[in-house]
Amino acid sequence: MQKDILLTMQEDLERALIQSTDKRRWAMLIDVRKCVGCHACTIGCVSENKLPPKLQYRPVHEYEQGKYPLVSRTFLPRPCMQCDKPPCVPVCPKVGKATWKETKGTGAGIVPVNYSECISCGKCVKACPYGARTLDPGGFHTDGTPAVQQYEKLPAFEYGRKLARDGKGLPIRKARKCHFCLHRLAAGQLPMCVTTCIGRATYFGDENDPQSLIAQVKKGAKMQILKANKGTAPRVYYIANEKLEVLYV
Amino acid sequence: MSKQGMSRRDFLKTTAAAGCGAIVASQLDFARGLIARVEAGELTAAEAYELLRAENTLYTVCLNCNTGCGIKVKILDGVAVKIDGNPYNPFNLHPHLEMKDAPETAVKVDAGLCPKGQSGHQGAYDPYRITRVLKRAGKRGENRWQSIPFDQAITEIVNGGLLFKNVAGEESRQVTGLKELYALKDGKLFEEMGKDIAALRKKKPEERKKAIDEFKVKHAANLGVLIDPDHPDFGPKNNQFVYFWGRKKGGRSNFAAAFNGAFGTVNTHGHTTVCQGSLYFACKAMSEQYVGNGFKDGQKFYWQADQENSDYVLFVGANLFDGNYGPTNRAMRMTQRLADGKLKMTVLDPRFTKLAAKAQRWVPIQPGTDAAFAMGMTRWILENKRFDAKYLANCNKAAASAEKEATWSNSAWLVKLDKDGKPGKFLRAHEIGLKPAEKRKDKDGKEFDFEYLVAMKDGKPVAFDPNDDKEAVKGELFVATELKDADGKPVKVKSGLQLMQEAAQEKSIADYATLCGTDAATIEAVAKEFTSFGKKACVDMHRGPAQHTNGFYTISSLMNLNLLIGNFDWKGGMIAASTFNFDGTSSSTDKQPFNFKKIGPKGQKTFGTSIIRHDWKYEESSLFAGKASYPAKRNWWPISSDVYEEILPSIADAYPYGAKVVFSYMGAPTYSLPAGQTQIEALTNLEKLPLYIASDILVGPTSMYADYIIPDLHYLERWEFQGSHPNMPVRIQPVRQPVIASPNEVVTVFGEQQPLSYETFWLALAEKLGMKGFGKDGFGPGQDFNRPDDFYIRMVVNLALDRKEPVADASQSEMELFLKSRRHLPKDVFDPDRWKAISGTAWPKVVTVLNRGGRFDSQSVTYKGDQVANKYGKQINLYQEKTAGCKDAFTGKSFHGMARYVPVTDTLGNAPTKQAEGYPLHLITQRDVRHCKARTITNQYLTDSMPENGIIIHTSDAKKLGVKSGDKVKVVSSTNPDGVWNLQNGTKKPMVGTVQVTETIRPGVITFTLGHGHWDSGAADVVIDGKTVKADKRRAAGIHANAAMWIDPHLKNTCMIDTVGGSVSFYDTKVKLVKV
Repeated sequence: MQKDILLTMQEDLERALIQSTDKRRWAMLIDVRKCVGCHACTIGCVSENKLPPKLQYRPVHEYEQGKYPLVSRTFLPRPCMQCDKPPCVPVCPKVGKATWKETKGTGAGIVPVNYSECISCGKCVKACPYGARTLDPGGFHTDGTPAVQQYEKLPAFEYGRKLARDGKGLPIRKARKCHFCLHRLAAGQLPMCVTTCIGRATYFGDENDPQSLIAQVKKGAKMQILKANKGTAPRVYYIANEKLEVLYV
Repeated sequence: MSKQGMSRRDFLKTTAAAGCGAIVASQLDFARGLIARVEAGELTAAEAYELLRAENTLYTVCLNCNTGCGIKVKILDGVAVKIDGNPYNPFNLHPHLEMKDAPETAVKVDAGLCPKGQSGHQGAYDPYRITRVLKRAGKRGENRWQSIPFDQAITEIVNGGLLFKNVAGEESRQVTGLKELYALKDGKLFEEMGKDIAALRKKKPEERKKAIDEFKVKHAANLGVLIDPDHPDFGPKNNQFVYFWGRKKGGRSNFAAAFNGAFGTVNTHGHTTVCQGSLYFACKAMSEQYVGNGFKDGQKFYWQADQENSDYVLFVGANLFDGNYGPTNRAMRMTQRLADGKLKMTVLDPRFTKLAAKAQRWVPIQPGTDAAFAMGMTRWILENKRFDAKYLANCNKAAASAEKEATWSNSAWLVKLDKDGKPGKFLRAHEIGLKPAEKRKDKDGKEFDFEYLVAMKDGKPVAFDPNDDKEAVKGELFVATELKDADGKPVKVKSGLQLMQEAAQEKSIADYATLCGTDAATIEAVAKEFTSFGKKACVDMHRGPAQHTNGFYTISSLMNLNLLIGNFDWKGGMIAASTFNFDGTSSSTDKQPFNFKKIGPKGQKTFGTSIIRHDWKYEESSLFAGKASYPAKRNWWPISSDVYEEILPSIADAYPYGAKVVFSYMGAPTYSLPAGQTQIEALTNLEKLPLYIASDILVGPTSMYADYIIPDLHYLERWEFQGSHPNMPVRIQPVRQPVIASPNEVVTVFGEQQPLSYETFWLALAEKLGMKGFGKDGFGPGQDFNRPDDFYIRMVVNLALDRKEPVADASQSEMELFLKSRRHLPKDVFDPDRWKAISGTAWPKVVTVLNRGGRFDSQSVTYKGDQVANKYGKQINLYQEKTAGCKDAFTGKSFHGMARYVPVTDTLGNAPTKQAEGYPLHLITQRDVRHCKARTITNQYLTDSMPENGIIIHTSDAKKLGVKSGDKVKVVSSTNPDGVWNLQNGTKKPMVGTVQVTETIRPGVITFTLGHGHWDSGAADVVIDGKTVKADKRRAAGIHANAAMWIDPHLKNTCMIDTVGGSVSFYDTKVKLVKV
């Protein structure tokens, strides 16, 4: 019997990591037909990246269409599109320092944020047509209870920084966004939203590798992208029975 | 080998870092940090990313819902910081890793897990947890507490006395302690009295008085131990200790049974009927085995679809993508096949669930009418000959085997009719002089008369034994005839399938369709589809059809459809759960050293009617004096047990007798049951419930009414054996084990230090009461039973050694990893030397199991040809003789042996028309995958994602009411006209919720998701030791509308119930919404 696609994609990932950067192209593909709207990706990401309340890198939007009894429901996970023409990058006053389209190393193709350089101006937040960026509002999930808990203060590993959340310092007030779990990729692991998906709806890998699962799935189906009219050239593709441009406006 | 010339395993071993040195360092200026160093080859991936280290990873089992998925807990500085799915466990990865795969392999693979599971550590690190024993310092439910030493609590609970003299109004209230209830201790007397009570049950009502008098004479010296000598069938005073539980699994069940067996109470009750009791008990009835003189050994279980191989599933009231057993395991086995069109589904549900959203057909059925749909399908299938006639004709094992079937039914067996034509028992061959009964011995060596059964073959009756595996007997399917008994008198008989056809023909398909709010064409189309895929089609059901007053017959009707196509044990058909054994009673090996049936505390032969009157016919009770005794005050449950809604109200009614001490574990009946406010009333009745102790991890919705709360361990801190669920074809036994330290106070029991826990409480009671089999030499000379791990490590040893092939020994490096990964655990939780001493030579196998979070068979041995390898493999009843032999305790009418559609009624059999007048909306409930019932409100990742629930209502109904999404409405019903939760502490919490208008629900039906609307668990201020612990408002958000659900007009203090299968009525109430 076929192996779980999580293992297949992990093999793909390991192959991609020893590929040279200029040949590799990280991409994500979300098969909306397989998404069961469980929000595991959203919460896995929140937990992995130590996101405070009201901040999600990857919300799952829910849509309902039609009239009873001919109705449909669609669940649409929305990570950062890691656009090849990212509108968030040129608006940054700290040109090329706080946020940029990475071209080198494991993170090539990803749009990262350097929290140390970010000046919290919020321009990138407004510029993103997908709402994929948020200024970290601070706070802990256990605020408002008798005691803030240690697990929230221990470090996250975003961008390989091992950054403890002390309640005051970085990354509070800084622009935060999905980075395809770069720290996990570097460690040979798939992004958290991919591994935790109970419907196995999210694919990740090097789409330039024709043997990779993501390349094969992409080849075999009609792809959609979100807000094609914005010309952002997303690295996140969708398969759906619905026309997503109608739903996601 | 992969195309790159390296196998996956090799690659996993070397990790990505091996290739990373070759990668040009990133220009990320801040990546002078870890990633750059990994890229430069200076660090390995695991050095950089500490959550990837095997020594920071432990495997255990989730319990944020009862699915119990495998979890991989990542630990940093001794703190659980991230939870993922366990790749060794088939609930998370499909197919899962093999037991032989090393932990270094597994550590790289994070498997799938639902959001509840991922937020599990937030429950462990909940700031509202309690860590010391709390004793009530105000009125019950007033939320005033004093923390007291554990020893004081144990002394008070055991000895009783003026325990609450400091509480106003209770100055002189004398409380009975457990010591006084530990009245009967003599095992011989237990046995003798029990035997006499068993005989008393068999007496006719008119003979009973005399028999009781005789009993009293015989046991004159010991009548003092009885609750009531005039009703000796109530049993000993020991029964006045009542223990009940919510979510409890293997291991902890055994632990409690060890205490309660030795203590000698019959009153140990689970919560099954709040979940899907009538599903369990209908399947128990279907699985009762013919043993020669009747039916027994029915299993309290059920079947589900082998969804990864099914071509077609009709899901009825089952929402696998939000609840069920459960989203993680079932979704990953279905989504690709659904997307590819290889699995087709029809969903019967008033809600357009996430599952329905992926189905080919949605039938928005009227709640409570699922059986009408099933009987319509049955009628069509029978009349159109779309059933598997070959399967149904098999009368016994031999016939089934000859056709490669693992199961067989009683469709062709002949049933006797009474003078009114009503079917009763199966015809026995000796009754028509066909074949005499023969003497056989049962498994205990006791002799009994084996009576052969009868089927018709070529127009002639033939005798058979259903378990005969040599002589195959096939019978005619449709038989309605008259035979002659041994005296030549006529005996009217019909075959099982004939009875089914007649039940189905009680209504036309069009009438059935009208009842369930659909059309005949839909029923016929679904029936046709269901019978178009051979054995690879299923009817898979869950709470939806079960939690109605007609739940038992509804489930039987639905499950019978599976019999019509004979899909049991077939790949893609209906399957049963299979597990590895841990209590040392495995029949497939003699290598298990610890048989818990033989070691440890000796169980008494407990006797007497339980306080919920289960496994007992009303007619067998000393309270029954003939026909005038109908209706009973409360129900009796001859074929169901663990009837949750009965426990507290029965105590409040002192029916059949009063209770003195009640202990609850991980249960929240006030929150989880329909009309939960009636449970609060019972809990605040000091006279009828004099002493109530709760085990909980916080002040919960029910434990807030306790006199003492004993802090328990969170599931990340403790042991259990999770077992499996029927949709899982792989044989498994996941082990829950401590992965983090407990915050609880450390106490001394049997001279040993241990954090306060459920087990500690039982042990301390046993120590104080001086019970045998606990403490020193409890498991035999030199084998003490002083602490939880004394019990559980022995079970892990058994588990490791189950089956022909035990698990492999852990390698030396794995042994080291085992220790290293537990370096943060204190000695009172983890003591490898002690564990090793207990395990003996099995120690390296114990390590193998614990390093993987349990024992899991390989996917490769899960199927054999076209069938599952782990088979149910027995007879399945289409017609239920045992059920037909029981009477309704209210009406005195016999139960139906053949399932059919019966309407929703109250306990007296009346349609609930009066209650419904003026209340136009049908209230049901549902789950959201982000919440369980009572226990997930503590997890902020979940409440942040879903801050509140709402009242989900169809557009047309909202329009009629003049409400729109976001408006606030109150839910009221005829049994809760104020629409409030009366907490009996001065607070009445209104049932007000936010309207959510949708097209995705049947008009006329409203629903809300469970998990919100709390008044407890940190949602309200509590005072402990004079200091106020302020509430977290998030926990009170949303609505919990269970208090609007109907109270039964006859019982008056309990919700409506299924009098056969025990289920509570969750989905039968009519309400109205009042704009706030």
